[in-house]
Amino acid sequence: MERVLTRNIHKENSQSIGVYLAGGGYEGLRKAVTSMTPAEVVDAVKKSGLRGRGGAGFPTGLKWSFMPQEKTKKHYLLCNADESEPGTFKDRLLMEQDPHMTLEGCMIGAYAMQADACYIYIRGEFVFGARMLDEAVAEAYAKGYAGKNVCGTGWNCDLVVHRGAGAYICGEETALMTSLEGERGNPRVKPPFPAQFGVWGMPTTINNVETLACVPDIIVRGPEWFAGIGTDERNTGSKLYCLSGHIQRPGVYEAPMGLPLKELINDLGGGMLHPDRPLKACIPGGSSVPVLRAEECDCNLDFDSLAALKTGLGSAGIMVMDTSTCMVKALQRISHFYAHESCGQCTPCREGCGWMERILLRIEEGRGLQQDIDLLKNIADNIEGRTICALGDAAAWPVQSFVTKFRDEFQAHIDEKRCTVQGATYA
Amino acid sequence: MPKVTIDGVEIEVQPGTTVLQAALSRGREVPHYCYHPGLSIAGNCRMCLVEVEKAPKLMIACQTQVADGMVVNTRNERVEQAQSSVMEFLLINHPLDCPICDQAGECRLQEYAVEHGTGVSRHDVGKVAQSKAVDIGPHITLDQERCIQCSRCVRFCNEVTGTGELDFFQRGDRTKIGLYPGKSLDNLYSGNVADICPVGALTVKEFRFATRVWYLKNTPSVCAGCSKGCNVMVAVGRKQELMTSPGQMDDGIKRIVPRVNEDVNGHWICDEGRLSYLKLESAERLPYAQDGDGVELDWEVATLLAVQSMQTAAATGRLGIIASPRATNETLYALKKLVDGIGGARIGTHRNHRGEDDNLLIRADKGANAAGAATILGTEDAVAVTLAARNGELDTLVVMGDSLDPADTIDLHGAAEDVGQLIFVGPFVDVASKAAHLRLPASAWAEEDGTMVNCDGRIQLVRRCHRPRGEGRPGWLVFQDLMRAAGVESSAWSEWGEVYDAMRDDLDAFGGTSSAAIGLLGLSTGTPAAAGA
Amino acid sequence: MYGPEFERRVDALVARYPEPKAAMLMVLWEVQKEKGWIDSESEAWVGKRLGTSPAQVHGVVSFYTMYKQKPMGRHHVQVCTTLSCMLRGSDELMGHLEQKLGIKPGEVTADGKFSLVRVECLGSCGTAPMFQLNDDYHENLTLESVDRLLEGLE
Repeated sequence: MERVLTRNIHKENSQSIGVYLAGGGYEGLRKAVTSMTPAEVVDAVKKSGLRGRGGAGFPTGLKWSFMPQEKTKKHYLLCNADESEPGTFKDRLLMEQDPHMTLEGCMIGAYAMQADACYIYIRGEFVFGARMLDEAVAEAYAKGYAGKNVCGTGWNCDLVVHRGAGAYICGEETALMTSLEGERGNPRVKPPFPAQFGVWGMPTTINNVETLACVPDIIVRGPEWFAGIGTDERNTGSKLYCLSGHIQRPGVYEAPMGLPLKELINDLGGGMLHPDRPLKACIPGGSSVPVLRAEECDCNLDFDSLAALKTGLGSAGIMVMDTSTCMVKALQRISHFYAHESCGQCTPCREGCGWMERILLRIEEGRGLQQDIDLLKNIADNIEGRTICALGDAAAWPVQSFVTKFRDEFQAHIDEKRCTVQGATYA
Repeated sequence: MPKVTIDGVEIEVQPGTTVLQAALSRGREVPHYCYHPGLSIAGNCRMCLVEVEKAPKLMIACQTQVADGMVVNTRNERVEQAQSSVMEFLLINHPLDCPICDQAGECRLQEYAVEHGTGVSRHDVGKVAQSKAVDIGPHITLDQERCIQCSRCVRFCNEVTGTGELDFFQRGDRTKIGLYPGKSLDNLYSGNVADICPVGALTVKEFRFATRVWYLKNTPSVCAGCSKGCNVMVAVGRKQELMTSPGQMDDGIKRIVPRVNEDVNGHWICDEGRLSYLKLESAERLPYAQDGDGVELDWEVATLLAVQSMQTAAATGRLGIIASPRATNETLYALKKLVDGIGGARIGTHRNHRGEDDNLLIRADKGANAAGAATILGTEDAVAVTLAARNGELDTLVVMGDSLDPADTIDLHGAAEDVGQLIFVGPFVDVASKAAHLRLPASAWAEEDGTMVNCDGRIQLVRRCHRPRGEGRPGWLVFQDLMRAAGVESSAWSEWGEVYDAMRDDLDAFGGTSSAAIGLLGLSTGTPAAAGA
Repeated sequence: MYGPEFERRVDALVARYPEPKAAMLMVLWEVQKEKGWIDSESEAWVGKRLGTSPAQVHGVVSFYTMYKQKPMGRHHVQVCTTLSCMLRGSDELMGHLEQKLGIKPGEVTADGKFSLVRVECLGSCGTAPMFQLNDDYHENLTLESVDRLLEGLE
């Protein structure tokens, strides 16, 4: 399979602009800004079928078309490099090993958005990644691919690397804007939508790193080429899959959209970590999406296939769990994450996430009560759909799916007042 | 104009109106915490979730704008389930403080728990504890764990006062309201955060444990702290069955809170006005008519003595009057009729200025009725009258005491020695009363009904909230008694409205108005005060 | 409180945004780089510089987990314990560190050399278990490799 997004990462000095240019880098930007209108760029992305790779899978071209056609105020493109969804580490790979691909995608996107500046919001922990981006931005400015008079066309667009400081919620697009404005990372109620009233009140589009990294090739090789890769016209392109957990070869794998999960686990991933501990469960799209039981794992990794299984591709963070995993402990750990990361603004998430975590802790510690399982599900149901942002849903779905699909395990913990998973160990 | 159907009732609203505003405007209560008409929309409490037909999820009414043809249900099973779940979430970490919390009886958590809650707690995994009874400012106590994170107080300090003292710290269910270390919530409007706090997280220190709110009798009135005339609700402790604490039923003012008037003070009041009753309640009062040595006089005798002295001085043009800018229009009009009837006097109004106007409500002119005084009595300053007294031009000087704050009474600078007779009319023992030869007690603010004109020319009603102390009586009644004693023809006024209407018939400035038409929100005359500013 | 060089860096940061307050997170990073942590005095300074109240600065500092509100160790060990790392032994790793360093998560060693905290997913699930030591990621850890690493630290 042809490497698209990962074609540069193994080259020596892959981060340098020289290497990037030698491999055809910035051709896409040059073509876009010198021979296409912003509307034509948007159209190309629409035709490619590209869908957001940050977690929501929203059609990118459609999102881009929400920006005002007529520019009367400042426009902004924000690159969401806050990658914090558990199980996800693909954006990091791109930024650390091939930052220019991200930057070129940002600049083409900025052109399509008629943006005055593109801010790359990178999570605070990615210190090395931020440094790679900083150096690449300086190189891009020096060669006229960013800043004033981009590619000699007279279009000015700044490219700025902005570091976060430790908050998963800032990956939510409206919280990213609030954080960029210098405040607590609280999501905003929508409407108004970012394309009408975004950062500093100006029309704004927010896109994930990988999503933007797909754009240069769409421009150079054409949307039809991109749309020809993958499952169908709604699940297109080359995709980065993050594999982790009880697996021989964890890591990032590039494959066409729609890669069979079993192929990822058994072939690319080298199979289960321990030969005597088969697959028990798998979360296919980052911890926010519902878990799959082993027998549900004969599926393809694309947006619609997983949606049909009532889960999701999300951020493509595939977390593999073998039979040594205590699902109660796993859920407790996941719930702790959401309770820790909740911004605290709205009632159901703020209070409910902590409540669920504390109930799970007592079940795990052998102090669970008979009503706890149904109570957990009920709390999750009361959070879902009632919050300002999707973190509430993201906290609810794991609870709902775990206690439904592994109910017997939770019941056993409560009945026997201890962990009943044989050989539960974590190494 | 968009039409929306709420619970089967179709209403038409202005574009931009939210579902919550639409519902509330028709008296349809949708429970909510974080929304406040004087602040920006936050949308974070989630209590106002309602069903909008064709929308997949429940939507918050406070932020959803009405679209033409929208159909909303606020009372069906789906909405009620959401409401009870939000109530449950709010209560899981909320301390069971009702027995010791000032908010009880006017607490939205209590009210909505009864109306929308399940009545049973399913939470038994330990509440998140925070700090209690934290002193955060001269007038405010914070109980962090009672807070439901509605953010009203943060928005108030950012949007209304622009002082930004409060913010949220930490995140998740560890979120709490706090102050920057070493700072104080000391803006001049800090008390308002206690009003807008839907629970007992922010409370006014001066009201802490004073009384239960259900023992309060509320009277709508107007603050007399400055010329802005913010609309208020004055709460007096009243006698009740089963009351065991005498302090609660002493008929004293227990608190003052703002009353909404979009044309005057919006939703707010300054701290000084809010707490003005403290001076009032604690000041020493003139208990009865008395002479300069404090010997009690019979009222008939006192008024006769006063009037004789005034008439004699008036006959030779040597009568001086210093009027209070906090007296009601009715009192000042009765004074004018008295003076006209006994032959005239030099009248000046005390100019009570302190500090500067701010960009919110505070006015440097502390004369709540300075505009009324200027209209009724003219613009002569009291200083001129005092000077006349010092120059030996007056035989009798009548001084009106301040009706709100004894410290605001004019200092005569020894003029008492320069006149033959100093007559004092007012409620308090103060600088002027101590120098007087004759003292007639009048009622204070909140003890008489009457009208005042604010700095924007608005005629507003101050109300009697409790009995006058001692033998105090409304100023217009004192002056009417003096007119009778002087044999001056006068009407037999028995209540303020009669005085007002007589004044209206007499003075063009009040033409076209009537006492019956003034109402709770006052009457705009469109003429801002020109009074000697 | 801060020298002209520092102020120059802050000015350069502020210039990147249409409103000064947007430089908040970047300026706080500069403060932390300079002082090692962010104290109240710094919060007041930042508030003044960026046109916001000290309470709001503190609200920001206390919201984001990477800003230190008190001095931490010279070597700040941030162990990821979220799901994928948990599946690959983060709990055992944490236990080992607690024992080796003699402190619990959230604490600093008496000599100020080490501090230990539990953090959420660091985006390194493919190389679990791992931790971040000050700015650097240390991945594919074993108890032995951790011991070797700690020994080599000043």
